[in-house]
Amino acid sequence: MDIRRIAVLGAGRLGRGIAECAASKGYDVVLFSQGAGGQDALRRIEKSLDRKLAKWAITESEKRLILGRISYTLDLKELSKVDLLVEATIDHFYTKQELLRTADHLCPPEVVFISTSSTLRVSDLARGITRNDRLVGLHFIPPVPEVPVAELVITSHTSPAAVETVKQFAARLDKEIVPIEESPGLVNPRALITLVNEAAYLMDEGVCNAAAAEKIIKESWGMTQGPLEMADRLGLDLVLNWMEQLQEEFGDRYAPCPLIRRYVRQRRLGVKTKLGFFAYTEDDAIVTVAQGEQED
Amino acid sequence: MKIFVLNCGSSSVKYKLYAMENEEVLAEGRVERIGQENAVITHQSTGKEKVSKTMPILEHTVAIRESLNLLIHPEHGILASVDEIDAVGHRVVHGGESFSDSVLINERTKEILDSLAELAPLHNPANVTGIRAAEKIMPQTPQVAVFDTAFHSTIPPHGYLYAIPYKVYQRHKVRRYGFHGTSHKYVSQRTAELMGRNIEELKIVSCHLGNGGSIAAVCNGKSIDTSMGFTPLEGLMMGTRSGDIDPGAIFYIMKKENLTLHEIDSMLNKHSGLYGIAGVSDMRDIEKGIAEGDKLCTIAFDIYEYRIRKYIGAYVAAMDGVDAIVFTAGIGENTPSLRTALCSNLSYLGIEIDPELNKLRGQDLEISTPQSKVKVFIVPTDEELVIARDTAAIV
Repeated sequence: MDIRRIAVLGAGRLGRGIAECAASKGYDVVLFSQGAGGQDALRRIEKSLDRKLAKWAITESEKRLILGRISYTLDLKELSKVDLLVEATIDHFYTKQELLRTADHLCPPEVVFISTSSTLRVSDLARGITRNDRLVGLHFIPPVPEVPVAELVITSHTSPAAVETVKQFAARLDKEIVPIEESPGLVNPRALITLVNEAAYLMDEGVCNAAAAEKIIKESWGMTQGPLEMADRLGLDLVLNWMEQLQEEFGDRYAPCPLIRRYVRQRRLGVKTKLGFFAYTEDDAIVTVAQGEQED
Repeated sequence: MKIFVLNCGSSSVKYKLYAMENEEVLAEGRVERIGQENAVITHQSTGKEKVSKTMPILEHTVAIRESLNLLIHPEHGILASVDEIDAVGHRVVHGGESFSDSVLINERTKEILDSLAELAPLHNPANVTGIRAAEKIMPQTPQVAVFDTAFHSTIPPHGYLYAIPYKVYQRHKVRRYGFHGTSHKYVSQRTAELMGRNIEELKIVSCHLGNGGSIAAVCNGKSIDTSMGFTPLEGLMMGTRSGDIDPGAIFYIMKKENLTLHEIDSMLNKHSGLYGIAGVSDMRDIEKGIAEGDKLCTIAFDIYEYRIRKYIGAYVAAMDGVDAIVFTAGIGENTPSLRTALCSNLSYLGIEIDPELNKLRGQDLEISTPQSKVKVFIVPTDEELVIARDTAAIV
């Protein structure tokens, strides 16, 4: 099947990133979101493209072309016109399953579904839908347009044809896929939250501040972005959600540091509230590490 | 003998049909926006009305099939059957070190072409897609690949090697390949014809100045140096490409602007050149800007002209002399002010151009005066004809 038009369910950071990345590779993208914040998804994608333009990564005409390929809708009936579906909503099992069931009714039967879930089992999600052989786990890692790898999860029910479709899609997006076994938590999220949690404990114990922890971790391992900034960009509420899901599965080794709970309670959710481990400007840049720290 | 010439890009196909007996163009056309529902196909058979239609064309096979359908169309076509085509000639951008001349395509050729995709990721895969598509439609018709790099395969090692660890060349074949070879070959040959001389006794500087631009030193009919290098980024200032730049400046910019490899690559290829300095990449806009007093347009023009002049000087030194300079492609053919600036700054070579002749365009033309020690020509390039000739010679 020739894939030209894809649906992205969820207009959060991951969904927007997938939409931007797919549109920049020539796919027509329909972005669906029922949640708050979905309204400004296109504006945020444009902002992301403007940042790329400012760094000469794309041209003005490429920006217009990419934006022209993305549309946004609340109307799930549009799903009847897509060739591939990517689910990129927050990891709440029942919400996700409900959405996949609805999409299952509306999408043409041959359409392959991709779940980007980080902490839910693909086979559990597949149980609720008729096309359980055509649901493939593909965990894109934000920022999606920049990260060159994605984690591929195949269940025992997944058909080889569906896997091939997803592999071709990933290849066109210039993503190298790394197959891993099914697990409630994939490699990237589990490794990331371990780092974030440990940094939060170091801060909570007064060993160092966020800037110091970030600098040491980031520069000693040659990362382009440190774990605390990554967490801020993902949203600390989402990070906390992952930790809680994994704690349920694996026990206390994923128990969230009280500092993270405190931040989420205080609505210090990261970039989306302009304050998390660091403070952020209107353009989502870190104010300065020192100023961000002064907020503590 | 009828030769069908194909130039396949990632989302476009350009084609020409030649009758080789008199090198006459029987038909030509292009398919644009391949991969979209609203692809556009434009076709004209010689002596017939131009036709254009919009239709969904999702891949190259369909695009080529549609163009062939137009060639045999009772009203718009010129052939009774596709079987009348004796061979297909394909433009292939990069032949690497494997191909120093045009070749008949077989399985081995295609394997090598696939392996060369890394050297020209934007062009070669599309060229190979076109080859496979044409083979699918015309399995019995011989297919020939004509390479943009082949004409430069005569550049000696001191011209093609970079002064970096030799191992890098051995491991990754990083060296000067040069591009626009088919064009340099055509215009230098044509220049020799216009001079009524044998190309093997001439020293010619060939200036292909389009949106991308390169200069070649053609000594006794062979390319001995060219300004584009491992990629088309090296050499002259271009529409949106920087051309020569200190590699040290690139590292510094990357650090200061915190740029990734992709970002610096895109900056140098798409945001630099005339566009980078003046904000417009088309030479006509630059000239308009100069007329309106835009200082950056003036600076952009001056850099553009100066860099061409430096290369001409370098190639005169490389060949130990020059008999003719030839200008071709969009800017080379259509910008009298550039040729005037260049030639008046090359007076030490004894160059003198006729201002009236310099204003003419659209034809093969000598623009130098009879007294000029070095002859100067304008020759509209015809890469398709070279492809057709090479194809006919091989089959």
